[in-house]
Amino acid sequence: MKTITLRVSRFDPAEDTEPHIEEYTVRVNEGARVLHVLHAIRDEHDPTLSYRYCCGSGQCGSCAVKVDGKPALACMAEARDGMTVEPLDLPVVKDLTVDMEPVIAKIARICPAADAGLPSRDEIAAIKPLRDCIECLCCVSACPALQVTEFAGPTVLRQEMRLALDPRDSGDRIGDAIKKGLFYCTTCKRCTEVCPKEIDIPGKAIEKLREVANRRGLTLPRHQEVARLIRETGRSVERTQPTFLEQVPEVIEPDGPVRGEVGFFVGCMFNGRVPQTALDAMEVLKRNGIRVLVPHDQVCCGSPLIRTGQTADVDDLKKRNIEAFARRGIRTVMTICAGCGATLKNDYDTPFEVKDVTEILTEYGIEPPAKLEITATYHDPCHLLRGQGIREQPRELLREAVREFVEMPSQCCGAGGGVRSGVPEEAKALGLMRDEAVKATGADVVVTVCPFCEFHIADCTDVPVKNLVTVLLEGYRKKDAERQGSA
Amino acid sequence: MVLYNAQTNKMLVDEIVDAHVLVIGSGGAGVRAAIEASRYGSVVMVSKTIAGKGGCTTMAEGGFNAVLREADSIEVHREDTLKGGAYLNDPALVDALVREAPERMADLVRWGAVFDVTDDRQVAQRPFGGQRFPRTCYAGDRTGHELIMTLLDRLDATDTQLYQEVSVVDLVKDEDGAVAGAIALDRDGSPVLFSADATVLATGGGTQVYDVSTNSAAGTGDGYAMGYRAGAELIDMEMVQFHPTGAIYPYDARGRLVTEAVRGEGGILLNARRERFMERYDPARMELSTRDVVARAIATEVLEGRGTARGGVYLDVTHLPAEKIESRLPVMLEQFLAYGVDIRREPMEVAPTAHHIMGGLRITPECRTSLKGLFACGEVAGGVHGANRLGGNALAETQVFGKRAGESAGKAPARSGKVDSAGVDGVLRVLDGFFEGAASPAAVRKDLKLTMWSQAGIFRTAPDLRTALGHIRRLADQRLCAASTANLLECCTVRNMCTTASLIVRCALLRPENRGAHVRRDATVITEPAASPFSHTYISLAREGIEQREAAA
Repeated sequence: MKTITLRVSRFDPAEDTEPHIEEYTVRVNEGARVLHVLHAIRDEHDPTLSYRYCCGSGQCGSCAVKVDGKPALACMAEARDGMTVEPLDLPVVKDLTVDMEPVIAKIARICPAADAGLPSRDEIAAIKPLRDCIECLCCVSACPALQVTEFAGPTVLRQEMRLALDPRDSGDRIGDAIKKGLFYCTTCKRCTEVCPKEIDIPGKAIEKLREVANRRGLTLPRHQEVARLIRETGRSVERTQPTFLEQVPEVIEPDGPVRGEVGFFVGCMFNGRVPQTALDAMEVLKRNGIRVLVPHDQVCCGSPLIRTGQTADVDDLKKRNIEAFARRGIRTVMTICAGCGATLKNDYDTPFEVKDVTEILTEYGIEPPAKLEITATYHDPCHLLRGQGIREQPRELLREAVREFVEMPSQCCGAGGGVRSGVPEEAKALGLMRDEAVKATGADVVVTVCPFCEFHIADCTDVPVKNLVTVLLEGYRKKDAERQGSA
Repeated sequence: MVLYNAQTNKMLVDEIVDAHVLVIGSGGAGVRAAIEASRYGSVVMVSKTIAGKGGCTTMAEGGFNAVLREADSIEVHREDTLKGGAYLNDPALVDALVREAPERMADLVRWGAVFDVTDDRQVAQRPFGGQRFPRTCYAGDRTGHELIMTLLDRLDATDTQLYQEVSVVDLVKDEDGAVAGAIALDRDGSPVLFSADATVLATGGGTQVYDVSTNSAAGTGDGYAMGYRAGAELIDMEMVQFHPTGAIYPYDARGRLVTEAVRGEGGILLNARRERFMERYDPARMELSTRDVVARAIATEVLEGRGTARGGVYLDVTHLPAEKIESRLPVMLEQFLAYGVDIRREPMEVAPTAHHIMGGLRITPECRTSLKGLFACGEVAGGVHGANRLGGNALAETQVFGKRAGESAGKAPARSGKVDSAGVDGVLRVLDGFFEGAASPAAVRKDLKLTMWSQAGIFRTAPDLRTALGHIRRLADQRLCAASTANLLECCTVRNMCTTASLIVRCALLRPENRGAHVRRDATVITEPAASPFSHTYISLAREGIEQREAAA
């Protein structure tokens, strides 16, 4: 047996105007789940505690709650001393019980055609990953798009794709999906992160539905513009200034002895719109003994096409990029754009390893920069945190570079998934929420490592936004200036 | 219609719902019944959970038995079911089950179910215990979830009115003594009266009366207790299936089902000495022997000191390819990973767990109970599985008898008599009494579950059973206390659990032989199942006893 003290959100609409937190201390068995702790509160402290549960084994989806802010099934999440248990972000009926029925009612039902036969083995295999959903609504609680739009919810779109894949279904799933907000998803993958069944809704449902929509000519005009640009120029942004690739040689030698060598995949944003940041990254790598090979025949990774369902030309882009690096015998390709990195890692089958700049720098270890006299917070790019599972490396680097580092709750900035171009008002609303979060930290600077996040957050807040490599470079310059000053 | 108490002229309940057919329960049987009944008239379905989230159908992992191949036959499925049931099954019910399971399977496929299929586009089947042909259809190891989601899709296409998180607490009758509907509590504890021409009881099972159980929190035996209180006859309530493989860690999740599909896919059982002990209990069928045999084998290994430190045995799939485990047993893999065990690399630890009640309300093949106006289907009904249920026959039962119950109820004539308001008044008085009670329902529930596990479990004796019965009666006599209106339901549930437990123990005392899942260590009569002189035990408010067979089969 062990003792657990926890905080539980209580709310009785008959008596309370708003929820409040109560603290409880209970004795539970080793390995107890959150649900067992709630049982202990009910049985030993307060029988009126309201929470929903049924199967106790992760199969019915009744008992989802937020544990320390993150949605989880109470029956599966291990109870922790000091945890806070709150209801999902849905209308609260009482305490931890939320109103699930209105969302469940939006999940489409199959309309079998009269002559429907059994699907084939391949069709079943395609449907199965979308069929595991237990409608616990963790994803609906956590989805950022739902906070600012009429998006019906990740699992609602999941079901549209499940039905679109079923030869027995006769419904108009693309029409329904668009009505339910197909283009609102930023593909931030927060839904996958909180899903007890780890269903990849953005990859296996949203992007696939957008593909079908594309084949029917229903892609948003702004997204079609991007596709046209890529088709014509190999790049997703217009050339408005000398590009990064125009400014650098194919091989950038380090200042000192060579400690390592990487190929560099620059990405459209850093190449065409913010080349200075990419140049800053080169300076940091030079300083740390890393030789950089820059194939000039590389093109767009295809991410803007994949995220918006316009996949017809993606295979050609993949081929060109893989060849550009493979031909030069490059074994490790470094990205500094979270979106490109996630695409190369997840959507490509590469003969080389792909690593984010923060992985390269922490693996080799960097010369410590002088600490900048600022308080900085860090915005997790979705395609880095969830797309590549990178959380600690940028923090480790940032802590070395600034006087004070403060955490900020992670949430999508709204730029991804074609939302910044396709649904700008949604992107703006999510960006403004980031502004509030940044201000709440009191930081002087918000640091990130994704050009899309950087660009978009800068549009939505008056707090300066900087790329991590720029902060590191500023630290080195400060260090050099101090050395010169003392010399 | 508004119901008043004639004496006080006080309105008894503030919400009254009328329908041609009332279906109580939203598991596989209930939803199938509602779908069928809706072809004949208005249907109301009352679910104590959110539909699709309650009951045990959604938790069923392994499969659905149906004869689909030339090489298999209805006759072999019938024989397997009767032999597995130690010939206590009602043959007419078995006949309906095995004949109609293929058609009900076809319904599901037509309605959109995503079952695994073979390369040549047939529903795939896997071997399950006690069957001579691999006839268990499956959707990975989430077959029940697939079934219920498909049924809810289909239900949505009917006009059935759904009341979710509304819990029936008792059946009500009309002035002619026919069942006329039910009284329920909504989430706040306010009473709702449902009146109907025909009522279908599809409340599922009740092994939550045991300390170690696979059942969902909803498996509290409400249907057995409500049927009994209304005067229905139940049979074979002593026949409780202990599933051989329940998880034993973590302690608070003990009993959680480890699907038979693990053994169906090739899992082996080892004791703490790493001996494949099934060789000593059933060398021919080994791990795929019937559940009663495997459960007793594991219990015996543990009792005789060959179990693990935590009191179980090992269930091992580490010799199977990881890819097979990932595709065929994904739920098992995920659950054990959550508890820190990677079943691809290390064995599971398992022990028997109370799983299924084979007994229940006595029904005809048309699902009529002994009470006029009341039909029953699914686990709450008795007789289909005899003394031991074959894995995969329960999901099939929900569909075959759900449809039959829905059809019979749908075809039932309009009822003429008025709802007996004295009966409703009686239920409301019981509810009011809970506000004056003193005993904690949580404490009574815990005590009851421990009593049943220790004294009415896998191995039984008359003295133990008598002790248990005395204790259950004392628990049932305690005046339960409702902490708020919303807590009334908990009191009703605990009362139902006490009733269900007492029915199990009383029937266990009535059967002097060892038969299937029922083992009396003090049995004085040695019987061969096929030649046993005994048939069903029966129990109702009016009578109880054990039937003698006219001629041995």
